[in-house]
Amino acid sequence: MNRFITLLKTLLINNLGISAIQAKARKNKLEYLKVLGLGVAIAAGVAPSLWLYSKILIQGYDLLAPLGQQGAILILGIVMVSSMIFFFGIFYVINFFYFAGDAQNLLALPLSGWQVLGARFSVVIAYEYLTELPFILPPLLVFGIKSGASLTYWLYALIGFLLIPLLPLSLATIPTVIVMRFANLGRRKDLFKILGGLMVIALAIGYQFLFQKSGINAMDPAFLQNLLTDQYGLVNLISRVFPSTKYLGLALISANKVAGLINLLIFAALSLLAVALAWLVGDKLYFKGLVGSSETTARRKMLTSSDYERFGKGSPALLSYCMKEIRLLFRVPPYFMNCVLTNLLVPVILIIPFLLQSHNKQEALPWEDLISQPVGQTILMVVIVGAVIFLAGSNAITATSLSREGKEFFISKYIPLSYKQQVQAKLLSGYLLGIIGAVLLLIGAIILMPLKIALIGMILAVSLVAIVPIIEAGLLIDIFRPKLDWDNEQKAVKQNLNVVFSILFSILLGGAVLYIVIRFIHSPILAATFMLSCFTVAAVVFYYLLMTRGIEQYRKLEG
Amino acid sequence: MIEIIGVSKSYNSGTVKAVDNVNLTIRNGEIFGFLGPNGAGKTTLIKMITGILNADEGTIKINGKDIRKNPIEAKMQFGFVPDDPNIFARLTGLEYLNFMADVYMVPPETRLDLMQTLLKRFEMAAAAGDLIQSYSHGMKQKIVVIGALLHNPPVWILDEPMTGLDPRSSFDLKEMMREHADTGKTVFFSTHVLDVAEKVCDRVAIINKGKVILGGSMQEIHEHLRENQSLENLFLELTENE
Ligand SMILES: Nc1ncnc2c1ncn2[C@@H]1O[C@H](COP(=O)(O)OP(=O)(O)OP(=O)(O)O)[C@@H](O)[C@H]1O
Ligand SMILES: [Mg+2]
Repeated sequence: MNRFITLLKTLLINNLGISAIQAKARKNKLEYLKVLGLGVAIAAGVAPSLWLYSKILIQGYDLLAPLGQQGAILILGIVMVSSMIFFFGIFYVINFFYFAGDAQNLLALPLSGWQVLGARFSVVIAYEYLTELPFILPPLLVFGIKSGASLTYWLYALIGFLLIPLLPLSLATIPTVIVMRFANLGRRKDLFKILGGLMVIALAIGYQFLFQKSGINAMDPAFLQNLLTDQYGLVNLISRVFPSTKYLGLALISANKVAGLINLLIFAALSLLAVALAWLVGDKLYFKGLVGSSETTARRKMLTSSDYERFGKGSPALLSYCMKEIRLLFRVPPYFMNCVLTNLLVPVILIIPFLLQSHNKQEALPWEDLISQPVGQTILMVVIVGAVIFLAGSNAITATSLSREGKEFFISKYIPLSYKQQVQAKLLSGYLLGIIGAVLLLIGAIILMPLKIALIGMILAVSLVAIVPIIEAGLLIDIFRPKLDWDNEQKAVKQNLNVVFSILFSILLGGAVLYIVIRFIHSPILAATFMLSCFTVAAVVFYYLLMTRGIEQYRKLEG
Repeated sequence: MIEIIGVSKSYNSGTVKAVDNVNLTIRNGEIFGFLGPNGAGKTTLIKMITGILNADEGTIKINGKDIRKNPIEAKMQFGFVPDDPNIFARLTGLEYLNFMADVYMVPPETRLDLMQTLLKRFEMAAAAGDLIQSYSHGMKQKIVVIGALLHNPPVWILDEPMTGLDPRSSFDLKEMMREHADTGKTVFFSTHVLDVAEKVCDRVAIINKGKVILGGSMQEIHEHLRENQSLENLFLELTENE
């Protein structure tokens, strides 16, 4: 147990970058201020969304209170957070448990499987607390304050907050550990790791939508009546996705009764049981999935002269540099998972629920009315373009492109390729993948909606321009604060604040432009023209900034 | 030719002076050894010559091209072998070599011949199609050396090139350095092993704590050491290594 605690402490300090900040702060007290400033900036960025979220919750409470169903907002929050933790948990587990460079090193220490897995699990839980906070705090506060809750409620809320991630993360851990155990076979380890990760994600998506679908089918009148008359009807319905969340919801709603305590105990027992199960599975399988996972194939085959010729045709330095970027994005598993896959997967995830729903023929899709009028078409255009922009911001290909080089960054400094061309090559690699994401999303939209060719053309044109400033701004961010000092690849893309900044920027720029369109422009052609002009101007401005300030900073950076 | 004039560099905003007012001229046609114990500042100076670090003071010219004022032309003049060959693990050897050839604008006709000759010479031909990740330390070192030679650079800069090489490859590398210098080109390399410097270098400079304390042919160095007892310890440190 002692060794477990030591390991946990080391991992926590290492992963949260605490010692790095302390080391810097010892030399320069301003470093703490910088960290604080970052925190404030991020808080300011998410504040508007939180405010909106809270407003919706308050309205929901007021609407549901006359029916005695106000507890539903609690459950909604808990279920949402649980699903999120489950889904992100899979990414976290794959990244932290398998892709982390120190994962291998720990194999050499005299530690058992549950100790290492448990310590990593706890680190992820720490991250999950940070992730869940903005989503779960508002419903807890709104319900607590509006219902004038007692001290027990707040105590239960705190305990609940600490317990919530345990079960979904355990549920994410178990299939991942099992799949990775068997993915760690054969010679193409990188490939299998990626495929294994994909499979777990596919399982997760399947699970989620299975439950969503059963919820939709249950919409018959008798059920609805029951829903509204039964005190916990809504609670029951929503918590179907994550059945255990119901107990926490009931514990909070009836915090002052014995039933509340019992429900809390049930929830705690379920959560701890899940953790025990996950650690048990981990004890048996974790190391087996890890041993030798860095082996690769080596054919050691003599190349023929045609092999040399095929490779040795030569291409312009800029394209070659761009190709190198793309090759690494596809070949390094954490880069593939976090940068490329989000790009390809998010469109699919967005489309699936609607596809499942559209089997229900009697139910009209929500946009059927929209599509026939110009205002509706404009709104659709804005929604799709918004999704494209958000996708470009969140895949963070350019926002991590210097960071991904890490210790190899010195190569970019000594090769005779001008910084201007390097910047252009990085933009190009980001843009190519951005196009793929945008086109996939658009294809998805076409499958779902009978869009007119002209509208498709306009959306495509706007999308292809709209991602340019996002990609440029991402690179600018990364040039000014590259994270080069990491010891394993996933830290460059997963634990990199530049990703957050890139997403925030895409929300701000996209949000501002799209808001104006929704508010003031009702014809698709006008909207497209307006958006094209806005994004073109932004693209030019950021390109100019990159080529002046960006390159100046690139020159100052040291490898 | 490499000209280093009054070059200094500190890390951590002035607290560690890693290179302190170094003046050196490395002539065409010679192998120049840069000798010093761990932490002496060898890598730091080499990083400044290659443009990886920016010097705080001083000028560095490679064949007359200033690395700060004329970076691209200066960078075309040299081939560089860094001290850590752990690079581009997810590329194959061949992809890496072609990347380097593209960046240095080596035309396809010349690169194919040269690549095959060098791969054979270092017995790397069979591994060229595999990921660099699958190479041993010495093999990585070799692929980097090959990559640095593809554009037939007038100046060759190597940081601790012998570490990790087996005797045979080490011998080959020294031989290649000699050939390179004999055609009138420049070789500049760092080492902390006196013996290596003694065997291959035309001239050496000894650096300690960021300062060049001695320079000249190996013979001159030995004479100095005999006269100056305080250098004895440093000398011991260098010989005891390896
Ligand atoms: N990135 C860095 N940040 C701070 N100090 C550094 C950094 N790199 C090197 N130093 C310091 O600069 C000095 C010179 O280091 P350098 O790497 O140039 O030595 P070296 O001669 O190459 O040593 P070795 O033989 O071990 O390779 C050392 O005192 C070292 O601690
Ligand atoms: Mg060194």
